Amino acid sequence: MPSIVAGIAVLALGAVVLLDETGVIELSFGLLAPVACAAAGAILLASGLARRG
Amino acid sequence: MTTEDRQHDGPEEEREPGADEPSGEEPSGEEPTAEGPTGEERTGEEPIAEEPTSEEPISEEPISEEPISEEPTGEEPTAEEPPGEAPTAEKPTIEEPTAEEQTTEEPTQPLGPEPRRLLRSRSNRVIGGVCGGLGRYFNVDPIMFRIGAIALALVGGAGLLLYLAALLLIPRESADAPAQPPIEGRNRTLTIVVVGLVLLVAWPFLLGGGLIGAGILVPVAFLVAIGVLVWWIVSGEGPSGNAGDVARRAALGIGVLILCGVIALGGAWAAAAGGGVVVGVIVIASGVAILGGAFVRPVRWLILPALTLALSAAAVAAAGIDLDGGVGDKLYRPASAIDLRDRYELGIGELELDLRDTDLPAGDRPLQIDLGVGEARLIVPEDVCVVTDADVGVGVVRIFDRDSGGVDVDVLDEPGARPDTTRLIVNADVGLGALNVVHNPDELRNGLHRDFDNDFQGSFAGDGNAACLGTNASARE
Repeated sequence: MPSIVAGIAVLALGAVVLLDETGVIELSFGLLAPVACAAAGAILLASGLARRG
Repeated sequence: MTTEDRQHDGPEEEREPGADEPSGEEPSGEEPTAEGPTGEERTGEEPIAEEPTSEEPISEEPISEEPISEEPTGEEPTAEEPPGEAPTAEKPTIEEPTAEEQTTEEPTQPLGPEPRRLLRSRSNRVIGGVCGGLGRYFNVDPIMFRIGAIALALVGGAGLLLYLAALLLIPRESADAPAQPPIEGRNRTLTIVVVGLVLLVAWPFLLGGGLIGAGILVPVAFLVAIGVLVWWIVSGEGPSGNAGDVARRAALGIGVLILCGVIALGGAWAAAAGGGVVVGVIVIASGVAILGGAFVRPVRWLILPALTLALSAAAVAAAGIDLDGGVGDKLYRPASAIDLRDRYELGIGELELDLRDTDLPAGDRPLQIDLGVGEARLIVPEDVCVVTDADVGVGVVRIFDRDSGGVDVDVLDEPGARPDTTRLIVNADVGLGALNVVHNPDELRNGLHRDFDNDFQGSFAGDGNAACLGTNASARE
């Protein structure tokens, strides 16, 4: 479970970086901050749930 | 053997021999009288003061030696007493002194409570159970120690240092130790108020005091704390165990932190140097590996490095940091409009463009400034009107006596100008740092600036951009 969520989160972040580099989106901290928080939160949540289970 | 054990053992020892006697008629203490005492007689003999307690050690067999006393034990008369005559209210007075006697008169085995040991609490802990253990040891609400530790941590950091020392030096209590009872709410509130008042009074002294060597010890303590925290997050092993375990986890956490720092710097440098696509592909490949590994063989160790790399590259991309242009300080003083380039760029450092001696013709003149990390200074003559469109990832934009700072700073200042006036149209892109547009470098030392705000639209007087007809400056953050 944590590995699946972490893999998806890392994939999403990599896609954001790639999209910015290719000019599809213009990345700013206003966009990055919630994305990064959501990714880190999802990983921590999954880890916590897995540990509890 | 505990006190409670002895309360039960004593009577049994007395009963056993009694069982050999012909019936329960014979209380041990009343040997001389063949009849044995009645219940009434025993009741009259029960006062504690009369008991020859020194003669009733439990280890001695009361029957065989027959030492004692006229005082039967609590249990024996109960069997013999006629139900109607047994004053039940007095029974407790029979048993209680017996227990006390047995407890206090054991000569060979000390029966007092075990000596108190200062241990970190398992049941009452927030981080490592240090304050809970101190509270138990001193019989004080642990919140007092917690407030004190936080206050000392905020004032010079001594609290953090002391807490870490306690974490390393005080052993943890065993897992089967009884739970610490909660503190009553009223007492806790009272404690908090009292400690708050004490801190309020002691605050000036704490500020004036300080800790010898705090300049070295406190950063080390912070580092150890961060190491423990990082390892806690990574492995799930909290600050428990003995000092060696905590030190080992702190070292591992610091190692992980250093590794992540190296990865972050490398990823940021690669992304800023134009390798953002490569970094993005590596991050995506790591994500695929982590995701695939979840179904085949988990590679959880890859999660943190991949996240670090992704976040560092994303931060560089968000700030718009571009290291093209090199590293170092650059100063440009073009003498004429021909020498003035359309674009100036620098990767990391200070970029200064001084146009005070530049002969600029009337009309619009575009100028592009790109800076990755550092400070860009544009110095313009008083008779030049400046139009600014600036994007700063993290930092500040100052245009004469107005400024705007923060994250994702986007300033657009488009004043008009007479046809015979030079209008410099500046398009600046700064990743991390500052853009300053001034008439004189000394203005940078003046800290009084007004914030860019939409309220300034249409306002002109006093903003330093005197050559312009008007301004419609705005800032979007």
